[in-house]
Amino acid sequence: MALLHDIRVPLIAVNDTTLTVVALLFKDGDEVQKEDIIMTFETSKTTYDVEAESDGFVKYFCEVDKEYAVNDVVAQLFSDRSDLDIAVQKLTTILPEIKITEEVISATVWTGDTVYSAKALEFIEKNKVDKKLFVGKDFVSQNDIEQLLNISNNNAKSVIYVERIAPQQPVHSEVDTQNVDIQLLTSNKKREINFLQSVQAAGLTSLISVTVETEGIFTFINTTQKYFKNTLLPVIIYETSRLLKKYKVLNGYFTDNAIAFYKDVNIGFAVDIDKGLKVLKIPNASDKTMVAIEEALFSLSNKYLDDILQVEDLTDITFTITDLSAEGVGLFYPLVNKNNSAILGISAIDEKLQRCTLTLTFDHRVTEGKTAANFLKELKHRLESYQFKDGKKELDHLFCFKCLKTMKEDLSGIGFLKCITSQGKEATICQSCVKGF
Amino acid sequence: MEVVETKITHKQIKQALLIRSVEEMFLTLFSQGKLNGTVHTCVGQEFSAIAFAGQLKKGDFIFSNHRCHGHYLAFTKDVRGLLAELLGKASGTCGGIGSSQHLCKDNFFSNGIQGGIIPVAAGYALANKLKQNGAVGIVFIGDGTLGEGALYETMNIISKWEIPLLIVCENNFYAQSTPQSVNLAGDIQARAQAFDINTYKGTTWEPELLIEKASIAIEEVRKTQQPIFFLVETFRLNAHSKGDDDRAESELTHYKGKDYLNQFKKESPIYYDNYIKEINTKIERLVTEILLEEELPIESYYQASTLVSNVNWKAIAPINQRQVERLNGFFKQKIEQDDRVLFIGEDILSPYGGAFKVAKDLSFIRPAQVFSTPISEAAIAGISNGLALNGFKPFVEIMFGDFVTLALDQIINHASKFYHMFNKQITCPVVFRMPMGGYRGYGPTHSQTLDKFLIGIDNIKTIALNVFIDPARLYDCIYLEKHPVIVIENKADYGKKIMHHKSSNFIYESNQDNYPVVKICPVASKPTLTIVAYGGIADMVATILEEIFVETDFKPELIVPTLLSNLPIDIIYNSARNTQRLVVIEEGSAYAGVGSELISALMEQMDAPIQIKRIAAYPVPIPSVKSLENTVLPDKKRIIQTIKESFL
Repeated sequence: MALLHDIRVPLIAVNDTTLTVVALLFKDGDEVQKEDIIMTFETSKTTYDVEAESDGFVKYFCEVDKEYAVNDVVAQLFSDRSDLDIAVQKLTTILPEIKITEEVISATVWTGDTVYSAKALEFIEKNKVDKKLFVGKDFVSQNDIEQLLNISNNNAKSVIYVERIAPQQPVHSEVDTQNVDIQLLTSNKKREINFLQSVQAAGLTSLISVTVETEGIFTFINTTQKYFKNTLLPVIIYETSRLLKKYKVLNGYFTDNAIAFYKDVNIGFAVDIDKGLKVLKIPNASDKTMVAIEEALFSLSNKYLDDILQVEDLTDITFTITDLSAEGVGLFYPLVNKNNSAILGISAIDEKLQRCTLTLTFDHRVTEGKTAANFLKELKHRLESYQFKDGKKELDHLFCFKCLKTMKEDLSGIGFLKCITSQGKEATICQSCVKGF
Repeated sequence: MEVVETKITHKQIKQALLIRSVEEMFLTLFSQGKLNGTVHTCVGQEFSAIAFAGQLKKGDFIFSNHRCHGHYLAFTKDVRGLLAELLGKASGTCGGIGSSQHLCKDNFFSNGIQGGIIPVAAGYALANKLKQNGAVGIVFIGDGTLGEGALYETMNIISKWEIPLLIVCENNFYAQSTPQSVNLAGDIQARAQAFDINTYKGTTWEPELLIEKASIAIEEVRKTQQPIFFLVETFRLNAHSKGDDDRAESELTHYKGKDYLNQFKKESPIYYDNYIKEINTKIERLVTEILLEEELPIESYYQASTLVSNVNWKAIAPINQRQVERLNGFFKQKIEQDDRVLFIGEDILSPYGGAFKVAKDLSFIRPAQVFSTPISEAAIAGISNGLALNGFKPFVEIMFGDFVTLALDQIINHASKFYHMFNKQITCPVVFRMPMGGYRGYGPTHSQTLDKFLIGIDNIKTIALNVFIDPARLYDCIYLEKHPVIVIENKADYGKKIMHHKSSNFIYESNQDNYPVVKICPVASKPTLTIVAYGGIADMVATILEEIFVETDFKPELIVPTLLSNLPIDIIYNSARNTQRLVVIEEGSAYAGVGSELISALMEQMDAPIQIKRIAAYPVPIPSVKSLENTVLPDKKRIIQTIKESFL
């Protein structure tokens, strides 16, 4: 069920900036075979037939005897007839599979060779971008690719010109080369600056923090987690993603007098190990089990280290978590990413006090301190419930693995024994079951 | 003592007295503060004017110098015009623009540049010879002028080419404040005789003899169509201009006594007084009238105009002919169609056909319209000016653009000024062509791009050829221009075919202006970098556009203007406004270069911040060794590196 092709007005002769449609050879919804002629244009010199590039179902967005500008989409080919209905609305917005807006590419479809800049090729190599995205482009710069990726988050208006990565004013600061060495910013950094400016520029972000008691918290966590030991990240992702279903406003973003609420919860987690700072996506985290989340963390981290990340791994992130607990830092102020409304920072665990700090930076344009505070409080409680409280375990949580009686129900007053089952698992058993009946 | 047939007439004496009275009136007006500027009076030399200027026919012409009032009055009889001109009134000969030294009326011309007027006069005379109208011309010089090289260049040419020009040298034994003995070597007449030019001699203290000899000389020039050099010994009784006169009192007294008019005053006082009274009354009446008149308003003289470029862009078609073939074809066609078209330059006779073969076969087709000159850039430029003033359309080839320095006086002080300083009475449609450019190892004086010294000379259009536009199309428009034009060609481009290189991912278009602008932009994408380059280097930049994109990530749009003296700022504005990045590349050096003018003019209008960079040659003479030449001149590596570093 997908859009297969946009059929656009071709550039045939340099002087023909518009072409006239002279024939539509099918009706909307008709099935076409590959190489069938779907429609015919007339140029100043000749006629031009458009062939279907594959089997599919055609829908027209043009009329016979009318003129259309070069590169206008005049028809589309779908894999499924049912896709035809949604085609009309989506035409001028982003088509998810292709992720391109008209204005961003060009006004003309080019049928010659595509020339890539050195930076573009580097980027494509690194991020395994599919070159098929650039069919019909005369030149592809790194900027073009970035435009492609950025825009997919933004369903609002399309961009007319290349978004400037640098600030408008050229840098005027007097640099005394006697005292300093200059190193130009990498384009990655420039991109990062651009990302972060988006929400922070409004100057309305606010920071709220909460401490989480961590004594004994890894006792159970370390047993259930396969790859990651002594880290709260998987569990935080698990709990946060579920909480975000309730606190929808932290899973959206500010957009021109409105709040956009994401339908899914795609948690992004930040990594920065030698390959630069990147935020990787765990899609639909709220539907994933702990195991699945851990798997996703593991495989994405590996992809990052092996430089085989895909575009999908980096885009459509609805909420970001940044874990600096390995860096030994205390409270810190993370910056909200573009098209997000909040970001959660995890500090290192203070060994002495047996606690860590969670900070939430949030966009005050979509919510207020109370909501953010409630979110954090609930998250804290959920996390602390993983603690193994020495001698202070909740009585309902303890049960005999054999007879399933809880501690509360046990009337002997002797308590349970800690044992290891024949499966090798840690468990507790009541006196009765040990002694036998 | 020679026996004189001619008897001086009282008419001539009255004319001489008139000249003297007008000059003395000027001195008075000056001391009253009514003249703006200075005067160089010819008091004491009047009979030189009478003998020569007073004996010419209608159709003859005169070129004079700063001390021209006597010549003017004797030739044109226009007392009122001269008075009004120096008094700065609109009714003056040149509307008050030229004043004392820059007069123009009915084939009378004067200019305040010594020496420079001589070749112009020669060109004017040559034009008469070509028209076969029997007219002759006189150029007045002083003994001080004998120091200027242009005189000798011209004497060589007028003798060799047999041009009917009479050079009258008024030797008053002083050059401004310097006595002749200090600076003049050798004999004056011998100078002309060295060039095989006939010489005559006379003095203003024997006016009858002078008048008779002058008449003979003029007729000889007219009949033989050969030049003559006439030395007139005389003495000016007043200072050089209005400054100090440090000459010995005794000397002055001696010459005042010797002066013919003073003797006449002594011998015939009654006649003298009557004449003087009549003359002075007339002059005073005129002055009183004139003082009440208006001056020229600025709108009549100069009005600013704004350039609006054409924006009808059409694709450029390649032509399978080399640039030099197109040029040669243009000249062949024009020289046949139009008798007024002349081709002038060094070594241009066929079969050689000029250093770069632009003139191939022209002298076979129309030998009378092709002039191969000695190595005298000043003279050939001046002669061309004179030809242009007198109805011809001369195309002057300066062999290497580097040599234009020798012709700059003629371009700046003569060609560019005639139209305005003579209050738009005449035009000078001369065309100076020259190849600039390096990259061929010819070294410091044969590789330069001196464009920045040639653009912005008032009233001259400076046009640069390039490989994208058919030069014949440009020259068709140049051919119709009424004012001087400088055409900057490029040695390396001569051998290239029109639009010889085309990158597939770019569109090549030009607009429909007379001197079109070329625009090369990506076929589909919107450009993110504006490059402006012109002339020879534009070809190099065009061939590396794709590489610029690959290396810098910017999609370039190249704009190539052809009219450098009025850059298409509006077109460049539209491009730079969108790309917000502008780099200007020129082969000349950067300081006060073409890029400076372009960027200043652009920034005056720019309403958004844009990033700007100029890339140009380093400010050192161009080395001959290839590695250094390609470093001093902009090369591909430097261009790409600079763009990478300069733009965000």
